[in-house]
Amino acid sequence: MTEARLDVDRERMGQDLVKLVLTVVELLRQLMERQAIRRVDEGDLTDDQVDRVGSTLMMLEERMAELCEQHGLRLDDLNLNLGPLGSLLPRD
Amino acid sequence: MTSHGPDPAHGTVVGGMGGAAERRPVPWDDPEPLSGPIGVPLVDLLDRVLSTGVVVSGDLVIAIADVPLVRLSLHALLSSVSARMPAPWRDGGPL
Repeated sequence: MTEARLDVDRERMGQDLVKLVLTVVELLRQLMERQAIRRVDEGDLTDDQVDRVGSTLMMLEERMAELCEQHGLRLDDLNLNLGPLGSLLPRD
Repeated sequence: MTSHGPDPAHGTVVGGMGGAAERRPVPWDDPEPLSGPIGVPLVDLLDRVLSTGVVVSGDLVIAIADVPLVRLSLHALLSSVSARMPAPWRDGGPL
């Protein structure tokens, strides 16, 4: 009987691990997105660079959505509530 | 409605990036300490820290049962690339 229960935990544990990894990846992605916006505002990038950065960020965002769906997670599951510090990612 | 600038009685945490739904004005003259969550998501704070640049320096020792095993000595500069802080390589670099 215990094997069944163990499997559930292992799968559940796997999902928690995936959630942690995706949270870190999402944090970095949003950080890079904001940095890219700042760089574009500065205006020292060529148009080609801006296009490439923009399309790469969009592809990354789609890939993140796919990964979350694959593991049965919603995007705002990745958000962490840091208590008095507020939230890790914006709660849109 | 996000007001851009603290009105006299209450200071409002201005979140230009995207309005968090439950932002309540933070009363300056409140006797007890800040209770509600700060209205700005941590990723925005990190972004601002990166844009101004920060130097992290220090020593870290990982020990088990008071036996030092791993030593990490840090002198890290964390900053966004700009005219003031140029990148060492023109493109993405060797990696």
